[in-house]
Amino acid sequence: MRDIFIPIFAGLGGSHIGMAIRESATLIALTQIVHLLGLTIFLGSLLMIDMTLLGIGFRRHPASRVARELAPWTTAGLIVMLVSGPLILSSESLKCFEASFFWIKMCLLAAALAFHFAIHRRVAQSDPPVRPWRQKLVAGLSLGLWFGVAISGKMIGIYGDDLRREPPPFQVRIFMRQPPRLYETAAAALKDGRRGFPALSR
Amino acid sequence: MDLLSFCHWIENTPAGVAIRESPTIFEIVESVHTLGIVFVAGTIFLVDLRLLGLGLRLEPVRDVVQRLVPWTLWGFCVMAFTGTWLFAGEASRIYRSPGLRIKLVLLALAGLNALLFHLTVYRRVAEWVGVPARARMAGWISLVLWTCIIAAGRSIAYGPGYDQ
Repeated sequence: MRDIFIPIFAGLGGSHIGMAIRESATLIALTQIVHLLGLTIFLGSLLMIDMTLLGIGFRRHPASRVARELAPWTTAGLIVMLVSGPLILSSESLKCFEASFFWIKMCLLAAALAFHFAIHRRVAQSDPPVRPWRQKLVAGLSLGLWFGVAISGKMIGIYGDDLRREPPPFQVRIFMRQPPRLYETAAAALKDGRRGFPALSR
Repeated sequence: MDLLSFCHWIENTPAGVAIRESPTIFEIVESVHTLGIVFVAGTIFLVDLRLLGLGLRLEPVRDVVQRLVPWTLWGFCVMAFTGTWLFAGEASRIYRSPGLRIKLVLLALAGLNALLFHLTVYRRVAEWVGVPARARMAGWISLVLWTCIIAAGRSIAYGPGYDQ
């Protein structure tokens, strides 16, 4: 499955810009600093929107107004991260390819981006506001997804290229080696009809 | 007690030993310290942007400050705690790091800037018409200082004491 992304990793890693960043400690540090600053602006403003939706942010102000006022900053922070992220990737594409948390982060990022633009924005800026329990649900999911992205990003730095490590660390066993087995069990269960389902609970 | 013997002492406290010997403790403390940026610098940036008229323009300055500053202060307590703990794990290795020293000086300046803002121009916030020039200046200074604090903090990992 990872193999279909090899052209992207090879292209970014072999690009002039990737090689230039890789060869300079200053440039490596700079891309990471810019990525962190983008995170601060993006998650800082998103946090305030979601806190307001949860009822612990700007209590006396309509959430839709706060969300609309902060939306440009959320977008700006996101753009900074979506530019600096691929630059970091180009400077360490081999490490990322072999890092379990890189793939976890990308899956979470895809889910978080889809959720953000398809649901979160509309709910947060909705006037009249949607029902409180829906606001809270959307805000909670948003914070969960984005902090998940951020934490798994941090874990790339901590665990590095762990996919080839023997014995496989816990995150590799849980996230990378289990899914095929789970998938096979699920496929067998579906094939056998109801009789196969006990296999799933094992 | 000089700086180096202080570093040796803090490295040998139970907390310093624990974070050096347990990867799990290190991962948790390091992650909390990194993501804490969002709560500290994130909320500070929003206050700065409000002072500069670049964000949250429809909300009164006072409301923005009152709602956000508690998050900043609690976040800062967590950051100071986790930061000191991270330092305790490798004190004698990084106490010479220029990134760390610059970061501490900038933190003191940022604290001074915030203190001056709250003790002087912010005291008369009820009488403000628009945002006074001194408050805008405090916003700019804070924005620049916190950007540099994040940069200096990240650069510690690329300075002396590390292989990268």
